Amino acid sequence: MDYDNAARDTINAFAPSVSWEELLWLLPHEILGATIVFAMLAIAVRRHFFVTTVITTLGLIAAALAASMQFSHLVQGAPSALVTPLFLIDAFAVFFVIVLCLGALALAILGFGYFARLDDAREEFQLLLLLATLGAVTLASSAHFVSVVIGLEMLSMALYGMIAYPIHSKVGAEHSLEAAFKYLVLSAVASATMLFGMALIYSQTGALEVVGSANSMLGYASPLALVGVMLVFVGIAFKLSLFPFHLWTPDVYEGAPLPSVALLATLGKVAVGAFFLRFLIHSHLLLNESVTLVLALLAVASILAGNVLALRQTNLKRLLAYSSIAHMGYWVVALLSGVGLGSQNMAASAAAFYLLTYAALSLGAFACLSIASSSESEAGVLSDYRGLFWRSPWLALALSVMMFGLAGIPLTAGFIAKFQVFFAAVESSQWGLLAALVLGSAIGLFYYLRVIYQMLQPAGEEGRTLRDLGLESVGSVITITLVVLFVLWAGILPEPLLVLIAALFG
Amino acid sequence: MSLIPLEHGIALAGLLFAIGLVGVMTRRNIVFVLMSLEIMLNSAGLAFVVAGAHHASAEGQVMFLMILTLAAAEVAVGLGLIIQLYRRFKTTDIEVLSALKG
Amino acid sequence: MSLLAILLILFLGGAAAWASSLLHPRLPRWIALLSVVGAMLPLVTALGDPAVSDGGWLIEYNLNWIPSLGIRFSLALDGLSALLVALTGFLGIVAISAAWNGIDERVGFFYFNLLWTLAGVVGVFTAVDLFLFFFFWEVMLIPMYFIIAIWGHENRRYAATKFFLFTQLSGMLLLISILGLVYSYSLQSGSLSFAYDDLLSVEMSAGVEWWLMLGFFVAFATKLPSVPLHSWLPDAHSQAPTAGSVLLAGVLLKTGAYGLLRFTLPLFPEASAAFAPVALTLAVVSILYCAKVALAQTDIKRLIAYTSVSHMGFVLLGIYAWNLIGMQGAVMTMLAHGLSAAALFSLAGGLQERLHTRELDKMGGLWRSAPNMAVVALFFSVAALGMPGLGNFVGEFLSLLGAFSVSIVATALAALGMILSAVYSLWVMQRVFQGEEISQSDEEGATPLSDLDARELVIYGLMMAGLVVMGMFPTVFLDYSSAAIERVVSISGSLSDGFGGR
Repeated sequence: MDYDNAARDTINAFAPSVSWEELLWLLPHEILGATIVFAMLAIAVRRHFFVTTVITTLGLIAAALAASMQFSHLVQGAPSALVTPLFLIDAFAVFFVIVLCLGALALAILGFGYFARLDDAREEFQLLLLLATLGAVTLASSAHFVSVVIGLEMLSMALYGMIAYPIHSKVGAEHSLEAAFKYLVLSAVASATMLFGMALIYSQTGALEVVGSANSMLGYASPLALVGVMLVFVGIAFKLSLFPFHLWTPDVYEGAPLPSVALLATLGKVAVGAFFLRFLIHSHLLLNESVTLVLALLAVASILAGNVLALRQTNLKRLLAYSSIAHMGYWVVALLSGVGLGSQNMAASAAAFYLLTYAALSLGAFACLSIASSSESEAGVLSDYRGLFWRSPWLALALSVMMFGLAGIPLTAGFIAKFQVFFAAVESSQWGLLAALVLGSAIGLFYYLRVIYQMLQPAGEEGRTLRDLGLESVGSVITITLVVLFVLWAGILPEPLLVLIAALFG
Repeated sequence: MSLIPLEHGIALAGLLFAIGLVGVMTRRNIVFVLMSLEIMLNSAGLAFVVAGAHHASAEGQVMFLMILTLAAAEVAVGLGLIIQLYRRFKTTDIEVLSALKG
Repeated sequence: MSLLAILLILFLGGAAAWASSLLHPRLPRWIALLSVVGAMLPLVTALGDPAVSDGGWLIEYNLNWIPSLGIRFSLALDGLSALLVALTGFLGIVAISAAWNGIDERVGFFYFNLLWTLAGVVGVFTAVDLFLFFFFWEVMLIPMYFIIAIWGHENRRYAATKFFLFTQLSGMLLLISILGLVYSYSLQSGSLSFAYDDLLSVEMSAGVEWWLMLGFFVAFATKLPSVPLHSWLPDAHSQAPTAGSVLLAGVLLKTGAYGLLRFTLPLFPEASAAFAPVALTLAVVSILYCAKVALAQTDIKRLIAYTSVSHMGFVLLGIYAWNLIGMQGAVMTMLAHGLSAAALFSLAGGLQERLHTRELDKMGGLWRSAPNMAVVALFFSVAALGMPGLGNFVGEFLSLLGAFSVSIVATALAALGMILSAVYSLWVMQRVFQGEEISQSDEEGATPLSDLDARELVIYGLMMAGLVVMGMFPTVFLDYSSAAIERVVSISGSLSDGFGGR
């Protein structure tokens, strides 16, 4: 076949298909891109952290609003749009775009409070945050391996910078440098593995679409393609920090500044999770027994390893790192309970709900940590929180809500999320996975309660005084309040959220 | 025109990938780690090119160009970090990065 | 509506008690007391004549909660749950009284936990939606954990953790079983529902029913507790503060028995009937083994804890005797043991407060210095050993009577337990109150032994009166619960014939 013709066909397939209407579908992405450019120019004109933060938040709010408008159109029956082969804009994608933008908004506000006193350039943090958000949004709405790679890398590259952010400051720079380097190397290995897997899939199916018919289960019949799928899973498992690809997680969580960790734990997980969910739904990969077996092993190992290793941690950031490993294990159980199989969307809804809840809970937890810390001194060790209930009861209460949520205690969103996972697993008769869930949740309660127990201890000498809340923390306080309210609302009256999420798969 | 069989190309790419992976895991010098990463990324690129040629579609080459940019960006950040590291520790040995342990 | 009011008063009262500690450290206990009393008012006003309701609910409260999962916020009360809610309220007051002067740090948070535990227990006794039931099952657990972990004695972390782990793991099994049941229902009817009345109608294959029943049974038997799932209880009791022990022994254990009566038997009649011999065996083993272990204890709270397990064995025996008499006996034992065990723990707590030890070896001759306390203790010991004329005797006698028609061997062995119970009760009395008075002056920090004060006398007096009424006029209580129990028996009516005939 003539090679040039093929190339021209491909180019033609891309070039003329972008209409104004389609550009409108990409409005949130465009707003984010424009905000990045604008913020960069603003920084070039004059450095001012507050102004940069305002630009960032406005851009994120605008993107979230644009996405909300699209969402209301889509749930009212507007057909979903494939914008170039790269993006699929449907209710699912737009929902996660909104979630990601709101999460980034919270992070921008937290970052402002946290970095306000950094003795270095602070403005670029918001720039990196915007870049990461754009990457996450791209990933969540991607329909093609190319956009997957672009999104994932944009997210990771920005994260390298964010993890290493306090590199010039006097305290803690070694740790963040080490964390950034570890993350860079391992993330690049994961990307390369994922790319190699994609190449293998492509070599067998000749298609790079995630949502197309070519890359559905039928196309994965050949063993080489299956190997490719597994390699892609390795990349995803790394980003979600599933055992045994979790090794970076505790170190990076401990070494990186808190807002960056929060981004890693929320935006990073949600975006990758959304993509993984879409990938599984469209590829029907769970029909393949070896795929389910591998995922089940990953899930069980993550649940057990994450929970058991978390038990011994004395550093709250590391504890949350291991807890995130366990939670992603629970999440994979939800996936295994039948995502992309049959007509029932129970499992997919459970997975989406879980992802959202987990992001909210870890955002809240890291927000509480970051309000207790600043870039000069982080309150990371568990004993820092000794007696917090008697020193700053509201903060302790907020952190307790997050811990209860992560433990899956009633009255919090975490309970509803875990309940749905249990339900989905019972429905699909995943008894072995259920046993892991039970064991994991029981162990998990231990260390979440340990945190609360620490906070309830009488404040001894070792309980450190927390930083005085200045004007820069007003936004953080509001953010924490909103997250707490969301967690309680979704735990007590989850119906609207459940209906909303069910509509994503309807 | 006779093409190189798909399997041969993939096998070569796989070999390169393995070399890169081993390099990342065993090298102590950070610069070599980065180089090994490059090999890994490029092996994926090679696989894409081979597969693209097999299917006679340009997508493989588009992907390769993507990977090139990606690798460049990755290395740019990586080298930036290495410079910081060298300034701080006066070495490029990876062993200095072991303060964080669980 | 009045059921919702009870729960809301307790939940909000808890929050208010916590908040009020910022104003004054003595405020929370008054608020807590007022909340419990206030919460009992709607119950009193709402109670009708249980006989006319012919087995249905006395009062109901129903609200759509999470329709997309078939979950409703539905509460209902029948004679059985009404008795238990009343017991909860009464023991709530006892617990507050026990904590009145004993708790002096983090007072607000203590009463918050106390009231939330009570609210969770009331919720467990009234929920008729299985999701809601599980919800409350968890809610009562966490505050109890804190009560033990924060205000407990020297080994509190271990005890609290053990308590938590046992109940949590079994709770997860319960959750899975509930979900399995709901799933079976959805296969059958095509819609999701967690409602108790809907789930009663589920038809399952024998294997599924067996496994689901086992999940329920393990959860409830852990709470009851029954051998071999009892080992958390002595630790939890000996380490918990007195108020915590009162609540644990008085009401939390009863949730297990209630769960068996309300859920396990009616929902899985066939599997439960097949399982009954095992349950009866466990009951007998619990009665005898724990009575024997109790004899070997030197820690007074541990001793009472083991006797608790032994007495709860009678409840298990009565329930799985599976006839009206046996189950009524179980209910009676629950109520009477609730009072007597709470009183004994309260007394043990009182002793510990005064002597700073729980070791029996360091006690003796207290009759002279604290005669009132000795009398009260004698009364409750005698009640616990099953003296005719008091509530415990009626309950255990009826349980044995019910079990007699099922298995003579089990009944005979269980009756042996009553003898053992007499032995250890009198032994403790003799150790603590008779004999040489052990001098307290050489103990560091020991206060001069004081007798019961007016507050304690009133509380113990009320509990004594309760036990006497139960013993003298058991029909008042039995009539009240009979409609509910008959319903349980009749649900498995066809089975009980075949079973009882053996």
